[in-house]
Amino acid sequence: MNKSKRPGNNEVYIPAEETVCNFMYLSEIVNDKTHLIIRIMDAFLRQVPGELRLLNEALKLPDYPAIRRNAHTMMSSVSIMGITSLNNVLKEIEKLAKSETEIEKIKMQAKTLDIICKQAIKEIEKEKINYMSM
Amino acid sequence: MEDNNVYAHVMKADIETAFKNIPVKIFIYETGEKCMDNLAMQKPQIVILDYHLDNRTPDAANGIKVLDWIKRVRHETNVIMMSHEDNIETALKAFNHGASDNIVKTETQFRKIIYTIFNIIRVMEAKKIALRYKTIAVSSILFIALLIGSVVTMIIYNPSFFQK
Repeated sequence: MNKSKRPGNNEVYIPAEETVCNFMYLSEIVNDKTHLIIRIMDAFLRQVPGELRLLNEALKLPDYPAIRRNAHTMMSSVSIMGITSLNNVLKEIEKLAKSETEIEKIKMQAKTLDIICKQAIKEIEKEKINYMSM
Repeated sequence: MEDNNVYAHVMKADIETAFKNIPVKIFIYETGEKCMDNLAMQKPQIVILDYHLDNRTPDAANGIKVLDWIKRVRHETNVIMMSHEDNIETALKAFNHGASDNIVKTETQFRKIIYTIFNIIRVMEAKKIALRYKTIAVSSILFIALLIGSVVTMIIYNPSFFQK
């Protein structure tokens, strides 16, 4: 049973049993080369927690330009890991931060982002182990 | 030059895979400042430059500023500008500052990069061949001029040489 709830305006998206990553794009780009996939996954696992931390710090202030910058940077990383559910979330954060309004809406979206990213990190860690054992 | 490490690694892997038969050396820099420190020494033929290089480090120079630096130091370097923004102003700005191409970051971005690099390499090879032909043509003209000059000199100073 799919327990996940798609985000509405004031809802937080909580993926339950479904996976959020799709590694097809990544493996296609690197021609299924295991060592490259592991290298890129490592870069993601190092980078994204820091990006989330910076975004949350910017939200507390709130520092709108920093929020926009971080959301913008994350777009490339999440698209590579096939986390399509975050495309609109990040676009929305960037748009709201650009207009420098509705911090509560941004926080709501950021919460969704945080939850999905944490799930993605778990999935990538698991996938990385699979690749390493190949 | 890309401040997103994940993206930079994917791009590197993709280029290495696409040009596996050509010896390519790829260097990744997070900021324009770091790249400029090594540009004169590494003499890159192609630079792939992110328009928003100042995203992660707000004090860092943006892509256009770095493009100007590159063109000032090494005009012959081809610069491919990349941006999330799909608007004509961004593209025109990049071209006006000397970029060879402007690529929008979409799903097909990596294919577009490979295609652009391939085209740049073809242009570079064509230029190299043209230069070779130019050298041969100039050398031939000089040789013929020298030959004619020698014959004329002989006719003037030693006309008996041609008379039997």
